[in-house]
Amino acid sequence: MATTALRAQVAAKWQESFNRMNKGGSGISGLMTFSRAWEVATEFLRPKDISDPASLRQYNLVDIKNAFAAVNQARRLPVMLEVYMDDIRKHQYLITREVTTYMSHYEQLMDPEIIAKLVLRLVEWYDAWAPIPELGHTIRDAYTLTFQTHLFSILPPSFARGFKALCASTLPSVSTDSVVDARPHMWAAFETLGLFDRYEALIASVVYQHIESHVVKTCAGQWAEPVLPNLRDWMSKKVVKWMFSPYARGAKTMEDAALMLQGPGQRFDFHMSKTLCDLRTREIFSIIIDYPDSMGALQDLKECLQRVDQRAELVRTLRRANEMRLLHPGADTKDILTQYVSTIRCLRVIDPPGVLLFKVADPIRRYLRERPDTIRSIVASLVGDGESGDSLVDENEPIHPLQQPETEDYTDPNWEPEPIDAGPDFRANKPSDVISTLVSIYDSKDLFVKELQVLLAQRLLAVKDGNFEKERRNIEILKIRFGEAALQVCEVMLRDMTDSKRIDQHVQSQHASIMHPTIISRHFWPTLESSSIVMPGQFEKLQAQYAKEFSTFKPDKKLRWLPHLGTVHLELQLEDRKVVADVAPLEAAFIELFSEKNVWSLDNLIPRVGSVDRSSALKALATWLDLGVLKEDTENSFRLLEVAEDPTPGARPAISRPGATNFTKNPYLAAHRACAGIAPVTDDLPPASSIHQQQAEQMRVYWKFIEGMLTNLGSLSLDRIQAMLKLAPGYDRTIDQLASFMEAARREELVMTKDEMWRLNR
Amino acid sequence: MKVTVKHWHAVATWRWDTGTDQQTIDEEGDVCGICRVPYEGCCPSCKMPGDDCPLIWGECSHVFHMHCLLKWIGTAASKQQCPMDRRTWVTAERKVAPTR
Repeated sequence: MATTALRAQVAAKWQESFNRMNKGGSGISGLMTFSRAWEVATEFLRPKDISDPASLRQYNLVDIKNAFAAVNQARRLPVMLEVYMDDIRKHQYLITREVTTYMSHYEQLMDPEIIAKLVLRLVEWYDAWAPIPELGHTIRDAYTLTFQTHLFSILPPSFARGFKALCASTLPSVSTDSVVDARPHMWAAFETLGLFDRYEALIASVVYQHIESHVVKTCAGQWAEPVLPNLRDWMSKKVVKWMFSPYARGAKTMEDAALMLQGPGQRFDFHMSKTLCDLRTREIFSIIIDYPDSMGALQDLKECLQRVDQRAELVRTLRRANEMRLLHPGADTKDILTQYVSTIRCLRVIDPPGVLLFKVADPIRRYLRERPDTIRSIVASLVGDGESGDSLVDENEPIHPLQQPETEDYTDPNWEPEPIDAGPDFRANKPSDVISTLVSIYDSKDLFVKELQVLLAQRLLAVKDGNFEKERRNIEILKIRFGEAALQVCEVMLRDMTDSKRIDQHVQSQHASIMHPTIISRHFWPTLESSSIVMPGQFEKLQAQYAKEFSTFKPDKKLRWLPHLGTVHLELQLEDRKVVADVAPLEAAFIELFSEKNVWSLDNLIPRVGSVDRSSALKALATWLDLGVLKEDTENSFRLLEVAEDPTPGARPAISRPGATNFTKNPYLAAHRACAGIAPVTDDLPPASSIHQQQAEQMRVYWKFIEGMLTNLGSLSLDRIQAMLKLAPGYDRTIDQLASFMEAARREELVMTKDEMWRLNR
Repeated sequence: MKVTVKHWHAVATWRWDTGTDQQTIDEEGDVCGICRVPYEGCCPSCKMPGDDCPLIWGECSHVFHMHCLLKWIGTAASKQQCPMDRRTWVTAERKVAPTR
């Protein structure tokens, strides 16, 4: 029900629109012009099927522009835009159809080229439907948005994969040097279609993967030289060149390009560092093994770690690797030490303040502390034991006295705070040289000195040619480390050696003897196993004669033999052959007895050499069995073979006493003896008892105290015993040591325990 | 069979001939009555045992490290007496280690 007012309003509006379109033309001629222009413009904008040549037509651009101008003047552009967008929506099926065809084709062949073709085709569609630029960017933007929205809605998921493959195919291949055509027009197409913004992460990931595969391929296992410079070179030559098309398209000058490339370039450089860092972190254990041939890798790692913060990861990986590959019962202590020392050196390169080292070393040190032979191994390497040839200590390293960790000196003008990731126990000025670090595994250096003494004793007593200059040199070096006072005992030992030589020269000049003893100062050598062997026959005479000469030379001194130590060089004149051998004194004693009569039983032999236990007697006899001098006819009855019997070593009669000795049954030792042939080495008799034996020996002294207090006071707790023993001079055992000793005493049924109270078992 | 010894590298310890009975030779060695260090060790002021730190025998049959005893005799409180039996110290010349 239109009112008059409304009617008048509509009429006014209509008139106004009419006037606008007619533009004051006569009659409706203006309106006619406008409608022609509208038709031309909409016809131009109508989306065409570019695969149908019939629909393609050339337009006169001047006409079109005039038409648009006319529409614009009539302010009908927004309406036209709506119509235009509607048209596009109506024709979208054309594009959908093509995309489907291309993609199904791609899914069959998996060829990224198809994707490239699809993209270029889509650009053709885009260009064909695009409005002329004179219409302004509003319309253009609206068009682009509509087009892209539709496009992204119809692209199947497989497109992303294909797109990635396409990007990858443009990258310079890892293996060949040929630079693939970067195809700038393709990147332009990506930009036009908005693919670049949409898939930027994808493109970056392509580059990341490319960098990763290159780094892994060229750098894995290459530790000798730093690879980072080469990688940077590769980046700037290959990757940056490639980056120009995707990342610096609009750049007009080189400066522009450099500016545009800076962001992504830094990201890629970071990724390269990270990849290399990951790789080296994975390889770190082997890198350390290879030190010092892996210096390059260490420098790389150092540089990467500064850029990529993965120190924690490195520590974690190395600790895990150490646990798996190093700190297990199968590893030799010496190997663990070597690896530890290499670790120290390597991590010093990577991280001079030593935070990484501190974190990695802790489990190794704890593990080493638990191993019984750690001290021995360290000491052996200290004195340059010739066993493995390579010593832990670098010959070129200057020798320092052992460094004690000092408290921090805050007056030092170069003082620096602890690194940020340092743990609570971290000490910035820890002992820095390798030996100090090794010695600091233990709380006291006395243990080392004691073990050193034992080792030195073994080595000095094994010296045959009287040349112990090497030992002297070692002790001199160690004196610098441990201090003169600590090694005083070793000094005496060395002097005993020179004195023995001098005395021997004198004695020989008085009365030549084939005996050349080493005369030692008892209290300055480690406790040597005592023995009560009595040397029979000519040996006894030799001893007596030498002792007499000695007393003549030194009237106030006497000799006391340690007959089980040393070596004897013997020649046996048998009926058909001569046997020459270097043997231990006990072995010599036995064979001497066989020169009295040819057949001996074990039970008769043993009393003639004093008291030895059966197993060592059998062991000594086995030497001669191996040499084919004796034969065990029946069990424990031995006969001298004046005439060799069946010389093949395999014919050696097996000793068939179960449990009496496993020595002769040990195939390795038997083979070892057979190979050593005429001069078996007496390496299995350690002349000096080890520290543990010594401690057990010393503990026996305290047994007297314990026995006394238990007799007087009845039963006592372990704490009481420990407290009372502390009153005894020189008692330095911990309560744990005491507990294990008491436990041992209980096994021997000397004491019994009840409710943690100990009392004598009687 | 004839056994010929070509070379014997033996090991022995030395001890002072203090005139103690051969039977007790296996016992733990005697100690100097002054410093309580075994005779075969060295007195507290010495570093090398043996000829560098010899013993001294007294007519009273007591034996000390020479350095220990001389230091004792040097003090006024000693009154030139043997610290063990308070008899005037007379060195048994025969047994003093020849100084070289």
